[in-house]
Amino acid sequence: MRMVVILGRVLDPSGIVVNRRAGRVFVNREEYILQPADRCALEAALRIKDTTGAEVVALPRSPLPDDDVLRQALSTGADRAVYLAGQVGNLPHAGDAVMARVLAAAVERLGGADVILTGATTLDTDQSQLGPRLAEALGWPQIVGAWQVETVNGRVQAVRQASPPLVGEDGGKAGYVAVEADLPAVVTVLPGALKPRYPDGVRLINIYRAEDAVEQWDVGDLVDEAALRPLLEKRGQDFPPQRERGVRVSGTPEEMAQALADALRQRVRG
Amino acid sequence: MDASYLDLLMAQQEQADKQHPAPEEEVAEGGGGGIWVVADVVDGAVAPVTLEALSAARTLADSLGAYVYGVLLGGGVTDLAQTLYQAGADGVRVASLTADHPSPAQADKQHPFALEPYLKVLSDLFEAEQPEVIIFGATRQGQELAPRLAQRMGGGLIEHVTAVSLDEATRTVQASFPIYGGEYFEIAACPEARPQFLTVEPGAFPAPFIDSYRKGEPTMLEIEPVEPAVRVVGTAEDADKQHPADKQHPADKQHPFEPPPVPLAQAPVIVAAGRQAGDFDLVKQLAAALGGRVAGDRGARDAGWIGPEQIVDVRGVMVAPQVYVAVGIRGDTFHNAAIEDAKFIVAIHPDPDAPIFQVADLCLEAEPKEVLPALLEVLEE
Amino acid sequence: MGAGEMGYCILMEELGRVCTSTATNVGAHIGIGAMSIYLDGTEEQKRKYLTPLARGQKIAAFVLTESDAGSDAAAIRTRAVREGDSWILDGTKTFNTNGSFADIVTVMAVTDPTLGARGGITAFIVEADMPGFKVGTHENKMGIRGSSTAELIFEEVRVPHGNVLGKVGEGFVSFMKTLDMGRLTLGAACVGGAEASLEAAIHWARTRKQFGLELAHKQSVQWMIADLATEIEALRSLVYRVAWLVDTGQPFSQLAAMCKLYGSELASRAIDVALQIHGGLGFSRDYPIERAFRDARINEIFEGTSEVQRIVIASNIFREHGVRIRP
Repeated sequence: MRMVVILGRVLDPSGIVVNRRAGRVFVNREEYILQPADRCALEAALRIKDTTGAEVVALPRSPLPDDDVLRQALSTGADRAVYLAGQVGNLPHAGDAVMARVLAAAVERLGGADVILTGATTLDTDQSQLGPRLAEALGWPQIVGAWQVETVNGRVQAVRQASPPLVGEDGGKAGYVAVEADLPAVVTVLPGALKPRYPDGVRLINIYRAEDAVEQWDVGDLVDEAALRPLLEKRGQDFPPQRERGVRVSGTPEEMAQALADALRQRVRG
Repeated sequence: MDASYLDLLMAQQEQADKQHPAPEEEVAEGGGGGIWVVADVVDGAVAPVTLEALSAARTLADSLGAYVYGVLLGGGVTDLAQTLYQAGADGVRVASLTADHPSPAQADKQHPFALEPYLKVLSDLFEAEQPEVIIFGATRQGQELAPRLAQRMGGGLIEHVTAVSLDEATRTVQASFPIYGGEYFEIAACPEARPQFLTVEPGAFPAPFIDSYRKGEPTMLEIEPVEPAVRVVGTAEDADKQHPADKQHPADKQHPFEPPPVPLAQAPVIVAAGRQAGDFDLVKQLAAALGGRVAGDRGARDAGWIGPEQIVDVRGVMVAPQVYVAVGIRGDTFHNAAIEDAKFIVAIHPDPDAPIFQVADLCLEAEPKEVLPALLEVLEE
Repeated sequence: MGAGEMGYCILMEELGRVCTSTATNVGAHIGIGAMSIYLDGTEEQKRKYLTPLARGQKIAAFVLTESDAGSDAAAIRTRAVREGDSWILDGTKTFNTNGSFADIVTVMAVTDPTLGARGGITAFIVEADMPGFKVGTHENKMGIRGSSTAELIFEEVRVPHGNVLGKVGEGFVSFMKTLDMGRLTLGAACVGGAEASLEAAIHWARTRKQFGLELAHKQSVQWMIADLATEIEALRSLVYRVAWLVDTGQPFSQLAAMCKLYGSELASRAIDVALQIHGGLGFSRDYPIERAFRDARINEIFEGTSEVQRIVIASNIFREHGVRIRP
């Protein structure tokens, strides 16, 4: 059985300071971390590998300037990692629509896969589209937002939140359902769903030393140039207004309660 | 004119409408474009996020000179079409279902969300209609349907949109979405590919003007039954007992699924009590109503209301929630430093000079005992 | 680990940044416990002992100090008497880090009382399950309470001759080499600890307001922070330069002593400044500063007190100039 994990990197938010008044984002420390949701997806794949001995292949979520996250995946236990080099067209800025096609072609070139795992959402932009887009590009079923994933006899089973949320007597587990789909399927894993394992120290050093640890494929071989133009473009940034502190609410208790409820409803989801 | 004359006019209008029903909206040849909103249905009613999406759609449509259309998916949702008309839709389509294919809203209770039939219906509909913009709510339905539909139709998708503006020259929507949970916003646009897909964040857009006299006749669509690819096999508990012989994960058999606990430091909503909170039960009820966790300052600990692991203080737990409600907390430096990363702080305290008011976003100078009961009542509505 | 001394220093710096107890546990295991086997062991000893130590299956400790022999390491009294093909060890050792759970210990014992330090001390590898080896009282310490410090009692422990580390009578030289390496990495841990103290001080200086302004606007606080930051950079340069010397096989003994001396004193100064800036809050046991304060103090004492470091540095300096100092 082959599992493919799609991994991406994100700027560590603790190194960023947003100055609303100046309308600028200051990057004090440019450090990149593996997307937390993708880390959980990798952990889910590795747990399945632990018990079934499946092969785990790591692919990048978007074009990357270096193969650091792929090497991290290898040192944590993935068997293969493929770096997608893009010299073609606009690939360095490709969005999820383009990457879905590229990754679908990459999976075909690998010889197919049984389960594709990726993070349900990205830490910075909170976009969850890559998983479903990839599922559509491959024509596979999708399980979105899984807490736990396992494979059982040609099927993949996942536990995810019921929608709409169920209220049970025990309060906890009743809010979650188990779903299954026939393989092959795409599963997206929520960040914080699983406790990811640490990479093995010696393996980590050896992987970073070995120049050819990560395979290199050229995107031009996978998809033709015309398909590589990104659909979205960035048009700028916007900053929330300076926090207005000390806004006094006055009136009768009922009026205060109404104003407070309006403010809270806006901010508390669900 | 007095009210009774107005009533008379309205009654006459209704009579006229009954005799001459409003014509069905015209659909231009080759697809009418327009701004389409795919509605979310929750508990048998149109979800607030859909109404907000309609208000955003209305704004865009007015600038573009286009129509706003709504789509309802599910069984037994035909009557809800009127809600969409009242909120500003010019046309509504209803994808009618049988019991075999429940709506996304009824999903998971008995059957899984039937992705495939909805995808087919929507993609057939949109192939024919050629919308300019398609808006979903940023809900489970939006998360599953919008990207697949966008990929199928070759459109660009921007998720969790909190504000929109229009680039009129190219008829492109410029959408803002939050970065790192709202630290700042990025603006993206899909300049060429059509349709443009958006999922809107609940609570980001204003509620639309509801014109209760507006009505319409929705168009029913046919759904081809397609076997869902993702099946519900039971609750999480059942999953542990499922197929014991098939189970290839002995580790999971010993450790059945437990939803991961969220430590107080990471809780998104916290209601904290202080010495002046009065009735601690009200604080607990407020936390339950908001879906948040209970905490407190050292005074609450002294009063025996909370345990030591719930003390919000630099010497206790540092918290960074989306919403922090300080009920009766005076707010000394050590408490205030522990909440400095909270996104929105509300303080309720009787003393106008309480230091908490210097860090709170919303300040209520009142007795918690008076405000909380009224607040709980309003929240229940 | 294959990362060299540079890599080990980075590891110790990161551990020291967060928890001195953990850094001490790791340092005693790798830095001095396994290090002596690494430096002086035969191939067979390395294969037998280093393998499980490197895999983390067994824990090491370095056992030298006795109640009457701290800085005066040559005054140890634990006896090792040859009996046929083995040695019988007898004595009591105190203040042994990792003592209560170590599996493999490197013990210094006196083999020839007449020869003293030169020729009379030998290093032995003792396994914790050898009969006669006992763990004594666990020390109730002021700081680094997460690290185990215990008495170790050797009651006629029979150690095979194959467990002699290095040559008989050359134990003193062996342990001096080991301690040199340990000094460097302790300095690295101090870099991390001092930097953590500085970060805490900066954070509080920009949060805490008195007299209408944040503390950061007060010159006295600014100067404390500036001095600390400067010294930490200096220490960091020193530590990593010495790590490079080790990795390139050059002499480093004097500079390692400087790392330890300067590092330990700087770490204590740094946490003291942080405590002062935090004021009353820093004094509270519910806040992490007071624990870091108690932990930092040990750095100036163990692995060679600051006084011993000064002797080492001065001896080295004067020897270069032809004067043999008698400490």
